[in-house]
Amino acid sequence: MRHPTEGVLRRLLDEPAGVADADRQHVADCPHCLDALVATRSDADLVGAALATGTADLDVDAAWQRLTTSRLTTSRPAAGPERVAVPSRRWRGQLRRPAAAALAVGVVLAGAGTAAANDWLQIFHTERITAVPLKTADLVSLPDLSAYGTVTVTAQPDVHEVADAAAAGAATGLPVPEVVRLPRGVSGDPAYQVGGKAGATFTFSARKAAAAAAAAGASLPAPPAGLDGSSVRLAAGPGVAEVWKSGTGVPALVVGRVVAPTAFSSGVPFTVLRDYLLTLPGLPAPVAEQLRTFAGDGSTLPLPVPADRVTTRQDSVNGMPATVLQTRDRTLAAVTWVQDGKVTVVAGSLGADEVLMIARGLQ
Amino acid sequence: MGMDPVRATTAVLPAPEAARRDERQVVVSRADLRADLDSIFRRDYRQVVGVAARVLGSADQAEDVAQDAFLAFGRTAVPAEQATGWLCVAAAHTALNLLRSGRRRAAREETGAPPPTVADVAEVVVTREERSRVRAALGTLPRTQAVALVLRHSGLSYADVAAALELSPGSVGTTVRRAESALRKELNRHASSD
Repeated sequence: MRHPTEGVLRRLLDEPAGVADADRQHVADCPHCLDALVATRSDADLVGAALATGTADLDVDAAWQRLTTSRLTTSRPAAGPERVAVPSRRWRGQLRRPAAAALAVGVVLAGAGTAAANDWLQIFHTERITAVPLKTADLVSLPDLSAYGTVTVTAQPDVHEVADAAAAGAATGLPVPEVVRLPRGVSGDPAYQVGGKAGATFTFSARKAAAAAAAAGASLPAPPAGLDGSSVRLAAGPGVAEVWKSGTGVPALVVGRVVAPTAFSSGVPFTVLRDYLLTLPGLPAPVAEQLRTFAGDGSTLPLPVPADRVTTRQDSVNGMPATVLQTRDRTLAAVTWVQDGKVTVVAGSLGADEVLMIARGLQ
Repeated sequence: MGMDPVRATTAVLPAPEAARRDERQVVVSRADLRADLDSIFRRDYRQVVGVAARVLGSADQAEDVAQDAFLAFGRTAVPAEQATGWLCVAAAHTALNLLRSGRRRAAREETGAPPPTVADVAEVVVTREERSRVRAALGTLPRTQAVALVLRHSGLSYADVAAALELSPGSVGTTVRRAESALRKELNRHASSD
């Protein structure tokens, strides 16, 4: 008899009753499997101990009170000391995958146009960015698209640091933005991070979508003919980011530029896929309605932001329409725009006027 | 690379950290929430916090994540019998998003004692550094592996994990085993390079 799989051995540790008698008997009599079982148990115990975190003194009543009172109110007291520490982690998160991030937004929202059957046709190329305000609770409940099909990452951007602007330009083929005049409180030379091209393909599956709908307690709207198995291919990058740290080591200013996302479609016209995805159970209806109004000409990349914590407005940078974002506590601001097929972002622990001034002065 | 729009948005923009509760202005009224939320909350809260705590290493942050998950759940029509799986998966994904985006408040990580329900694990001595390494490696695992691992170690049965992640019951053990093996290798790699 063949040795049971590693999965069977693993289950034997937790749920021996769930393992077939023949497999249990084999393991008991097989030195090889017994050794493997010991190693399996050792790894399981180690990981279990490493992940264990004390939650014994939870107060469920107090937690329920918090959910039903304070979490449902519309105003909050001023932040405590932790506010100071938060931005650095946030910025680092931003820098790791600028290209991938833009791409992931595009997977859900990008595009409109027509694609002929069996061919990959470009149906989306970012020309503008518009912020779509969402409530925080909607962000939490936005569905992972993998529930509706298969998401395959075809290229990883491999974000890494390089020595200087020349190296960043050589690595990405992009003109590296140069900040002519740094704002007060920001000084020195930036660190340069670059990333290559990122790519992913989403293939719609009617079977998975039906299962996701059932899990959400709803039935799946009938997919349009030919949609099952249709794919959308997304590409973005390469990109470059320049990071200035403050005296405390916290990134104070970030200037990033990335080749704008594009989308290609096979099978049914992309508008059909997009409109259908927007009707799927799990996406809040008001959000779907908002998103549907965008990308009418296949060129606007909607960028969801939590409306309750970030304000947005339109402005311009050197004649190009730009979106300005600012946290309501005014600790962070960013401006982003698209020009010549490239998305540029200027962001920092600064005011909206300051990031706009830097953006307009980029060389 | 993450493909869900929540992580993508927070990665692109200077959006405030999801776990920061002080400025949050959730505009949801009590009437928007499902009627059985109270009973489900009291039944599942500890388990959902436990899921997030295993990812984040902090009970405080785990409670923030659990509150988000219950709030989102409260606005769904998910059948009550699927609530535990839905909530645990939502908490695991949200916590992994925080972990992967680097927005976890590392300074507040707790080395907390293992919960009493895993007494056999208490014999394993794990250093604070090993905990950090395992969590860092957790954030790099394929998402299904990471979630399956955390759900299993949070006490969900193989059948529950399979249902929640749409895996075949037979593949749960393999998925969990591969995750544990990868985390062990990560620890060994660091141990051998020290």
